[in-house]
Amino acid sequence: MESLYLLIPLSALIVLGIIAVFGWALNRGQFEDLEREGERILTDEPGPLDAGQARRED
Amino acid sequence: MCRLDYRVAASLSSPSEVAVDVVDDPLEFGRFTRWVSGPAGERRAESSLQLAGMHCAACAGLIENALARVDGVAAVQVSAASERASVTWDPERTRPSALIAAVRRAGYDAVPDAAAPAREMRRREARQALWRLFVAGFCAMQVMMFAWPSYVATPEELGAEMLRLLNWGSWMLTLPVMAFSATPFFAGAWRSLRSVLAGRGRLFDPRAIGMDVPVALGLLITFVASTGATFDPGGPFGREVYFDSLAMFVSFLLGARWVELKARGRAAEQLERAMARLPETAWRVGPDGAVSAVSTLRLHVGDLVRVPLGQAFPADGVLHEGRTEADESLLTGESTPVAKAEGSPVVAGSVNVGSPVLVRVERIGGDTRLEGIVSMMKSALAQRPAAARLADRWAPPFLWTVLLLAAGGAAAWSLIDPSRAVWVAVSVLIVTCPCALSLAAPATLVAAARGMAREGVLLQRLDAIEVLARARHAVFDKTGTLTEDRPTLAGVRLRPLAQPAADAATLRCHAASLAGWSQHPLSRALVAGLGEAPAGWVSVREVPGAGVEGVDAQGRAWRLGSPAWAAGEGGDDAVVLACDGVAQAAFDFDETLRKGADEAVSRLQAEGVQVTLLSGDRAARAQALAARLGIVRVQAGASPEAKLAALAALQSADGPVVMVGDGVNDAPVLARADASLAMGQGALVARAQADAVVTSSRLDDIVRARARARRAVAIVKQNLVMSAAYNATCIPLALVGWLPPWAAGLGMALSSLVVIVNAQRAAR
Repeated sequence: MESLYLLIPLSALIVLGIIAVFGWALNRGQFEDLEREGERILTDEPGPLDAGQARRED
Repeated sequence: MCRLDYRVAASLSSPSEVAVDVVDDPLEFGRFTRWVSGPAGERRAESSLQLAGMHCAACAGLIENALARVDGVAAVQVSAASERASVTWDPERTRPSALIAAVRRAGYDAVPDAAAPAREMRRREARQALWRLFVAGFCAMQVMMFAWPSYVATPEELGAEMLRLLNWGSWMLTLPVMAFSATPFFAGAWRSLRSVLAGRGRLFDPRAIGMDVPVALGLLITFVASTGATFDPGGPFGREVYFDSLAMFVSFLLGARWVELKARGRAAEQLERAMARLPETAWRVGPDGAVSAVSTLRLHVGDLVRVPLGQAFPADGVLHEGRTEADESLLTGESTPVAKAEGSPVVAGSVNVGSPVLVRVERIGGDTRLEGIVSMMKSALAQRPAAARLADRWAPPFLWTVLLLAAGGAAAWSLIDPSRAVWVAVSVLIVTCPCALSLAAPATLVAAARGMAREGVLLQRLDAIEVLARARHAVFDKTGTLTEDRPTLAGVRLRPLAQPAADAATLRCHAASLAGWSQHPLSRALVAGLGEAPAGWVSVREVPGAGVEGVDAQGRAWRLGSPAWAAGEGGDDAVVLACDGVAQAAFDFDETLRKGADEAVSRLQAEGVQVTLLSGDRAARAQALAARLGIVRVQAGASPEAKLAALAALQSADGPVVMVGDGVNDAPVLARADASLAMGQGALVARAQADAVVTSSRLDDIVRARARARRAVAIVKQNLVMSAAYNATCIPLALVGWLPPWAAGLGMALSSLVVIVNAQRAAR
């Protein structure tokens, strides 16, 4: 039962963290055009790669 | 300001007649372009375009490529879902018309999208609403988790320490709900109170004290009492906390508002899509006789303007050269084109359907008859009788009853047991937190609006549902509303001749094929009525304002047109077909009833709704149509001012009035009516102000929408009764101090849920 004294405040903090992540996504406009990302696979040109992605050697 | 829907113009003018170059006029492209600074601080323009002809997501890529290849375009973004493009371009190197041309070359079409700023504002509003909803929803979920142990375990099992910790966690997560998510309710309540304090509204007036006041009061009292119980258990506020009910209630309310916002946004979106168009062009004739295309905003008084066949007159003026006919139906309701001779006045917004003419501009912009009607519409909108919403009507009595009961309870308990007086008053205020009451109306109306949209009536204002259900009087416009806006062929009368030039079938065929060479409304009615017919003409020419002449293989001259021109005879036939000057057949035209007009009028009357015909057309025609439909009350020949006066008289005599119309001349009446419906293909200014747009243009959909509105209002009343019943059972228990806190919490949640589930029936 003692662990609850740690877990309850922790869960409150996690909720605030989740809200912050959602707020970031919302303000980046990620919920405004929900179809475009799904349709991007149909376009000819690939989008710009992220820094972490390696370009395949052809 | 006002963008007219030139129905005839849209179908008559070929693309070559519309000058794309006009969008290069800064006056015009300023409406869909904003200035931004580029990466190096240079001046860049960012234009929004509405695209057409897209059928799949890959089209977005094609258009993007086409635009990106234009020299001077810095960035392009095409959204396949909304069919819009946003283009950033360099004003030094390219012009807006080049962008449109590039899209057209790629096989699509683009028009300026002037609604971008309004959409941007809506987007920001939607973002803010979603953010509030999410904060409330997520906090509510976690608060419910924290509240769960106190529902299933006794305080002894849980221990005082653990209970305090859980309450403390709940309080911390309810704080953002109160301080951020619920601010719209507090702001609304504060506005109400301020207007009452400033003496602008009375305390019992539902227009002054809306539902926001009891909601804000309930939220505040519940939060303060629960906070007191959290930090000072056993103090004046007792030990019970209601954070879970509070957070859930706020998220329910915000959820209903979010859906409502979305529905309003969809209606606005549809309207903006219809309003995106190329700027209106006028063909100005210079002093040297050269014709140049300019924006109508650039016209000056005294300019000479050439008005091609099928285009709208760009300004009020007089006919300088030529004879023609003008279709003024949108402006006056007059259903047949009006003949215009040299020197006759013409009004902006009416359509030239006779022949190309020269017009001298006399009044422009705000001085034109059209802008006069638009400004009349705006003042009518301000005079619209204010109606209290169904739920708001309950707000003041509810508020005062609850406050009285709480005060009475506190007074009684201060005699019996002073230590419990505050607690009793607070618990009365908590259990009467009007969750269900404030959800009863919006949840139902949103569901009903969804159902109506499926049936072809797009609501722009939810309050119209109540008026639609309640109104005992419906007013219809004639031309374009009860009737189709174009004439149709009613009959063919063959002339009894000793030697007819051909048999009946051949005559019909000749008439149809000659009519096919002309764009006159009557010609098009003939083609529509007789069907396309090929015939071997040696030569064909159209005489503007008179008719069409063709020479057949045998060398006979056939004329289709006015009796005077075709056969040299008088009479009031609209159109005759003559061979070598001898009339062979005459054609009668009539107005056609719109689909479902008959049924709509008879069913409305059967349901006890008075129907009035309010028309700008001539009395004889209005009377004839009213007789056909069984309408008794007719007012014909009404100008927009007269229509407005007639409507105001009806409102003061009969209460709320529903108006159905389509034209510019109906716009002021639509704005003044308690509920207004505009036909889907009507003038934009009428559609923009109407409470609902009948997108199907079928009049019986109005009857169906009314039935749905009545059902929705019945459901709202059920919901109100249910929430009142909940309050009626809880208040006595709270007053005697017997209401267990878990029952209060559960009751609040359940009553809200029941109301929301019941509301969904309105969508079926």
